[in-house]
Amino acid sequence: MRKFFPVEELARDERFNKVTMKERMADPRAVTNPSAGQSRRSSNRLVPERRDSADAARSLMHGIFVGEIQALEGAGRTCHDFETNVEAPFALKLDMARQAWDEARHVEISVKLGDWMGGEIGYVAENTVLFEAACSTDPILRLAGVNRALEGLAIDVFTTMKEFGELASDPYLAFCEDWMLADEVTHVKMGSDWLRKVTENDPERRKKALEFQSVVDKLFSYGGTRSESEESPIGLARRFRELAGFSDHEVQEIADVSLQALNERKEFVLKQRELAGVHAGD
Amino acid sequence: MAITVTPAEFAFVLFDAAAIADCAAAVAESIGMADRDIEVHVDETTPLARVSVESGSPIVIHVDSGAFEDVRRPRHFSESGTMLTLGRALLRTRDRDDGTFGEAPPESELTLAETAAWEVYAVGRLARLGQQPNRQRFLYNFRNRHGFTNAGDAAFDELWASDRLTWNELSAISQAALAAKTVLA
Repeated sequence: MRKFFPVEELARDERFNKVTMKERMADPRAVTNPSAGQSRRSSNRLVPERRDSADAARSLMHGIFVGEIQALEGAGRTCHDFETNVEAPFALKLDMARQAWDEARHVEISVKLGDWMGGEIGYVAENTVLFEAACSTDPILRLAGVNRALEGLAIDVFTTMKEFGELASDPYLAFCEDWMLADEVTHVKMGSDWLRKVTENDPERRKKALEFQSVVDKLFSYGGTRSESEESPIGLARRFRELAGFSDHEVQEIADVSLQALNERKEFVLKQRELAGVHAGD
Repeated sequence: MAITVTPAEFAFVLFDAAAIADCAAAVAESIGMADRDIEVHVDETTPLARVSVESGSPIVIHVDSGAFEDVRRPRHFSESGTMLTLGRALLRTRDRDDGTFGEAPPESELTLAETAAWEVYAVGRLARLGQQPNRQRFLYNFRNRHGFTNAGDAAFDELWASDRLTWNELSAISQAALAAKTVLA
């Protein structure tokens, strides 16, 4: 079986339409109003009071669904791509096998939740950036990117969705998200534990892995879709991140890099608006 | 009937003003509003999907670009999505103009539950006219506003199947569903 599978060749049927991060970030439109330095509404947080909350939650659920597929593909690949006990310890691969099982279950749950919320498989474009983070040739960088950055984002997303389900009194959403959230905390902790264990005597490799994670964290902030700012629909779940093995310092770094991504996105949008002749306040 | 779409040319999204005008004409004709002048103003600088409508002559519809977008292909135009968006806006206008919704509050004063109930009433009618909305999508929104109860689902079914309601009737259905939610809480 082929090793190190390229993102372009991920198997999808005709219902899916893949877009890259580059394509997504080239969209000059903005949910926030960059010229005014504030949101087009007082808060973009995903709460039932938002007029478009059901549509936004359904769209986010589809994002979770495709994210779970890519996480399954990434964890499965890590089991296969590296030689046991040479490139990756057997126990690490066993953890990845367990994670693949969890992700497969999450895919099924997400499909059912999507149906429940009125979505359809493939009705929103699939951003493949998640799997791209799972393409590193170093298993520790891959764990830093997938388990700590990607699964860390999953903690933030599931916490947001769980809270939305509770506020909306949706009888299934909060329950399902809570169960998946527990798995994600475990996945992040696996990443944190293996990162520390494998690089215990290799500070350079650890540094490289953490740098890679920081790059992926910024990418996964999707131009500020996830940050502690009220302008972002998804918040940063500090408590669950602590449970998953992030130090206060590491959580703060993610908060900073997310806010930076938000501000960079706003600057980009402002430039695009100027180029198109759209004036401040329009 | 005169239909105007602004902007005439789009810079942020891959929309075609003529295609939007064609959708507006087709929808207006299907719901018996072919004699009305319509202006459609698209805010292409935002991917949100807000829609507001001002009755009068012409009818003025303001939409964010997300309301006409094919989310499967970001920034591209969705004909079916546009038909549904315009149909909902125009039916709300027709309801107000024909006197049956004379007691309805202004758009800006509608509650989230009232808006959801009116949406269901509009989309159900559009479905019977041949459009193909995702029923579950509107059911989920209705449940979010009226509670996840059997009484709420029955209210949804009634609104979806109705062709001729007054504002007071629609409001009573919505209120009954909300009351069932409160009892459970």
